Amino acid sequence: MYRSQKLALRYFVAAITLFGVMTAAGLLSALYYIDSSLLYNVFDFQMAKILHIDTLVIWLLMGFIGAVYWFLPKELGREVVGIWIAEVLFYVFCAAVVIVAVVFIVVQYGGSNEFSMWFINQGRKYVEAPRWAAVGVVVVVLAFVFNVTATAWRARKMTGLLGVLILDLVPLAVLYLDAFPKITNMSHDLYWWWWLVHMWVEATWEVLIGCLMAWSLMELMGTSRRIVETWLYIEVMLVLGTGILGLGHHYFWIGTPQYWLSIGGFFSALEPLPLLGMVVHAVYDAGANHMKTTNRPAFYWVLAEAFGNFIGAGVFGFMMTLPQINLYSHGTQWTVSHGHFAFWGAYGCGVIAIMYLILQRTRNAPEHFDSRAWKWGFGLLNLGLVGMVGGLLIAGITQAIYERAEGGSTLQAFVVASEHPWFRSAMYARFIFGLVFALGYLALVYDLLTIGRRVTVAAPAQTAPA
Amino acid sequence: MTSASLFATSVALGLLVLSGGAYGVLYTLGVARSNPLLIRTSYACYAGQLLLVLAVCWGSPLASLWKLFIAVSGVAYGFIPPATWRLLETLHHNQAQ
Repeated sequence: MYRSQKLALRYFVAAITLFGVMTAAGLLSALYYIDSSLLYNVFDFQMAKILHIDTLVIWLLMGFIGAVYWFLPKELGREVVGIWIAEVLFYVFCAAVVIVAVVFIVVQYGGSNEFSMWFINQGRKYVEAPRWAAVGVVVVVLAFVFNVTATAWRARKMTGLLGVLILDLVPLAVLYLDAFPKITNMSHDLYWWWWLVHMWVEATWEVLIGCLMAWSLMELMGTSRRIVETWLYIEVMLVLGTGILGLGHHYFWIGTPQYWLSIGGFFSALEPLPLLGMVVHAVYDAGANHMKTTNRPAFYWVLAEAFGNFIGAGVFGFMMTLPQINLYSHGTQWTVSHGHFAFWGAYGCGVIAIMYLILQRTRNAPEHFDSRAWKWGFGLLNLGLVGMVGGLLIAGITQAIYERAEGGSTLQAFVVASEHPWFRSAMYARFIFGLVFALGYLALVYDLLTIGRRVTVAAPAQTAPA
Repeated sequence: MTSASLFATSVALGLLVLSGGAYGVLYTLGVARSNPLLIRTSYACYAGQLLLVLAVCWGSPLASLWKLFIAVSGVAYGFIPPATWRLLETLHHNQAQ
């Protein structure tokens, strides 16, 4: 095993740990909607929410970085250049995450001054980490870009897949610089801030997970390089074609010119089309292989990725993306519902699939890689997620109807919607399904620790029931 | 937009994409397994999708331009699964050769 692949395993351990922190912080956040006085003045809702969202971003980012460090030496047939930098920065990254988390939990917030921005909380949604940590993220990502490009350069080898990945790493690093603003006009500030939030999620991350899934499909199903690369080019063209200007759906209500209503609505509404193509591709690949696989957990998580992405981003997104609907749904739990489903489908399932794929190699179980626990993890996590987004959808529609359409978005209407029995019941349901999700997480961790360890006799490849 | 029309329109839009997805999945499964029943069911899903397009175009308070867009995308959905299937077949066929 290459050193970079050992590093990849460390990244996965960190990622799955942060996945747990994200789940715990999410459960706590859900509780505030049931008891709004919970931990009042001790640990307020905003801090739980910050922990929940920031750990979401970091666990997925760590999963992506780990996956690239795993596949890169296999792709190029050599050790990653500057691997010692990556190893050092991994520990720096982890230490920084722990320090930031402790500051968020213990110190929480400071005054409106430079010190708070640099050492407590930068105050920017989704990228709240204090500025020193944000600088650290830039350093880690730049080192990551250096590792990938220098290795390709030294190997004197360039594949189509690697070319797409390297091109994608440029905006991945550059767009994060939007986390360092000096703009005082709020509309201007939000305009650029969305470049970071939207473009990372709906452009660079989509391409990144596309590359990782391409590598995974080659390993999991033996799909040829030519096929996955051709499909990757098509996917990148379609995703970027719709995703970049789909950014406009965030510009509807932040003070930007009116033409964004048309641009954003049009390109956002096109986004389900490439997702449908991906679903067809997933079903085709499964059929072409007669559902045969030696790694059922990874296989099912890949399928969950395709379907989750389509339903979460495509179906839930299209329900609320046209401006006339978005006027009512924007900023309600409806949006939260869409965000949860889309993130889980597009990225969460993909990272978990890659983890299983890699574990099969490290546990030396090429023929029989199965267990009972992965089914529990798969079932509970997906059931919990679907239940949560269902609850959030009902709560969001209640808000859109009673707070916006009927109440006219007044404070009184906000209170009426928040006290409405539909909203309250949906929030209880969200918490209960959140517990189911947390149980699924425990089953997943147990399975990741144990699967493939007890295999003594090789079994034949299995046919998964359709 | 009234609360009733908001609810009906957004649910119709969600179902529209969902039925497109069901059409894609069933069509691919049906062709892969040479199962006429699945293929017919997939066409039924697409027909359902077109009905939803009609419902949105006739009954929703969306602006005319959005209705036109939904009508055009409803037609586009019809081509995506067969076109994707043909593309994948060509790719796999070329690879096999």
